[in-house]
Amino acid sequence: MLVYRVSRVISLAHGELMMLGAYGLFTTASLFSGHPLVAIAVSAVLAVTVGGLVYLALMRRMTGESVLAAVLATIALGILLRGTMVLVWGPQERHPLQALGWANTSISIGGTAKISAVSLTLVLATAAVYLGLWVFLRYTRWGIRMRAAGQNALLAAQRGIGLHGIYALAWGLATFTGGLAGMLIACDSALEQTMVVIGLKAFPAALVGGLDSLAGALVGSLVVAAAEVLLIHYVNPLLSDVVPFLVLLAMLIVRPWGLFGTREELDRV
Amino acid sequence: MRRALGIAVFTAGVVAAGTGAAQDAYVIGVTAGMTGPAAATYAPVIDAMKAYLDHVNAKGGINGRQVRLIITDDAGEPSRAGANAKRLISEKALMVVNSSLSSTFAPILAETKRAGIPLYFAGAVCPKETYPPADPLQFCSTAFGATLDSQAALAFVRSQAKEPVRLGLAAMAIPIARSEIDYAEGLSKTLGMTPVEKQITPPPAPDYTPFATKLKEANPNWVYSWAPWVSQVRTFEALRRLGWNGRYVTWAHLNAEEELVRLKDGELYVFGTNAFFQDDLPIHAEIRAVTHKANLKYPTTYLTEGFIAGLVIESVLTNTPWPPTPAKVTAAMNNLKVDLKGLRGGPLEWTKDNHFRTRQYYRVWKWDPAKQAVVRVQDWVPIDVKQ
Repeated sequence: MLVYRVSRVISLAHGELMMLGAYGLFTTASLFSGHPLVAIAVSAVLAVTVGGLVYLALMRRMTGESVLAAVLATIALGILLRGTMVLVWGPQERHPLQALGWANTSISIGGTAKISAVSLTLVLATAAVYLGLWVFLRYTRWGIRMRAAGQNALLAAQRGIGLHGIYALAWGLATFTGGLAGMLIACDSALEQTMVVIGLKAFPAALVGGLDSLAGALVGSLVVAAAEVLLIHYVNPLLSDVVPFLVLLAMLIVRPWGLFGTREELDRV
Repeated sequence: MRRALGIAVFTAGVVAAGTGAAQDAYVIGVTAGMTGPAAATYAPVIDAMKAYLDHVNAKGGINGRQVRLIITDDAGEPSRAGANAKRLISEKALMVVNSSLSSTFAPILAETKRAGIPLYFAGAVCPKETYPPADPLQFCSTAFGATLDSQAALAFVRSQAKEPVRLGLAAMAIPIARSEIDYAEGLSKTLGMTPVEKQITPPPAPDYTPFATKLKEANPNWVYSWAPWVSQVRTFEALRRLGWNGRYVTWAHLNAEEELVRLKDGELYVFGTNAFFQDDLPIHAEIRAVTHKANLKYPTTYLTEGFIAGLVIESVLTNTPWPPTPAKVTAAMNNLKVDLKGLRGGPLEWTKDNHFRTRQYYRVWKWDPAKQAVVRVQDWVPIDVKQ
């Protein structure tokens, strides 16, 4: 959403970048054995750096090209990353939480509900990231510049805003948030190649909420997740993979620009 | 002119030497999911098999001949598997080995049947055509066996249960797992158990909590799962996160021994047909040495299945007179008894009508919190494989 809002490019490599963040944590946890906080900090820095490098090495060359070309470039990037990760880390399952030396205990909420410690951390981290992004975009100089570039790149450039720096920052932040999600999901369950499926499910959530709306992405995620869990529980568990896309289809028919997106975004796409 | 003639003679010599070397070797073709979503299941099998056969070649080969393995990657895709089979047949493979998803079976079988070449499933699920009465050209050494596994698992549950069994069942939405868990559901009733909930999870699922929630709500005291390891273990972990404290019995895949150590749960039971490395048999030392020399990247505990495949191929080719043909290889496979040196409960035996094995042996293991080690809960229990 962040990358799209700033540069009008949908990154279809987000699932792979999410998985790369998780593998980064696994690697740093193994390298800094006994120092989990150092491992986490280093992997976070790596995630931001990877995002910036993706922009500088690949997406920068797509600037000025058609949106389709840029999207295809992200698809190719995703395929490349997936193959590279198999070559480097192998296809077997990894357990970053075990490498960090931590356990995923079960926490009771309200007497009957239970949640794992990592899942709770995921929820809290999501809230913190959202708050941080909101503050960043609304009140900081770079955040305002980012919003300006997203609204009118030509005018922003003419006003002296360095677009390449803004886009690189957007990619860095997006890769960081995706990597953070990957790290936490991998800690909650395990890390293996099928994690990219989670990245795929992020698209319906973003599109349902509105591609250019931060709040919309949050609401869209809740809508899709609720639909998925309720249908699994009350209808058929095998619907879990198709539910997000059924919700997306319904939204595209009823309100194609999403719950909180701007209508003109649809025309542009 | 002379230079061109010299190059031509040199090239002809190289080609002739290569062809001669190939003709002087037993050629075995392999199509496997070396990459792709299920690579973690299949790639270790082939790598271990190759390491063993390279070791055999280093010792002088079989009947004085080398074994040439041609390994192709199908990534679990049927179209690629079919193309691989064609290529392997064109390269005069005496046998095609498959270690990949069951969706690859049909295209490979179409090619091997046409060419009259035996198809050996090593690490891939054994199709029912390998059971008696067996298809003439299909053979299988893979550890798990449909219906037999559920018989063994539920017999174990019945032997351990001190109260009436309320059985939860979990599988992945793939045909082989669904049919096995459906079979187990029916079998459990005949054994006096009460199946209370059955959950079929989609492949793959990022979060198993919704499925585990439904299982837990049915209040089983035992859960039996037969599926790829990821589905088995994630369902178990999700149940534990939800506070379920019952007993869980599941198939011991390649990584089961390592996972028991990671999970450290005293009520998780794995049952299987391959011995664990904790037994520290002489063959385990051999596996460690061979795979260390081959610099394999997988944990040693993953490699038993591939080593067994290597032992089987060695035995088949030892009994295949020179010059080999697919028909001679098939004849050798129809009358095979392989000493697995303790890797399973008994020898692997194939007959003309049974290309699976004549007897399946099962053990059960769990983590012992008191000993802080994996312990054997049940020693080899045989089940005869009948028609």
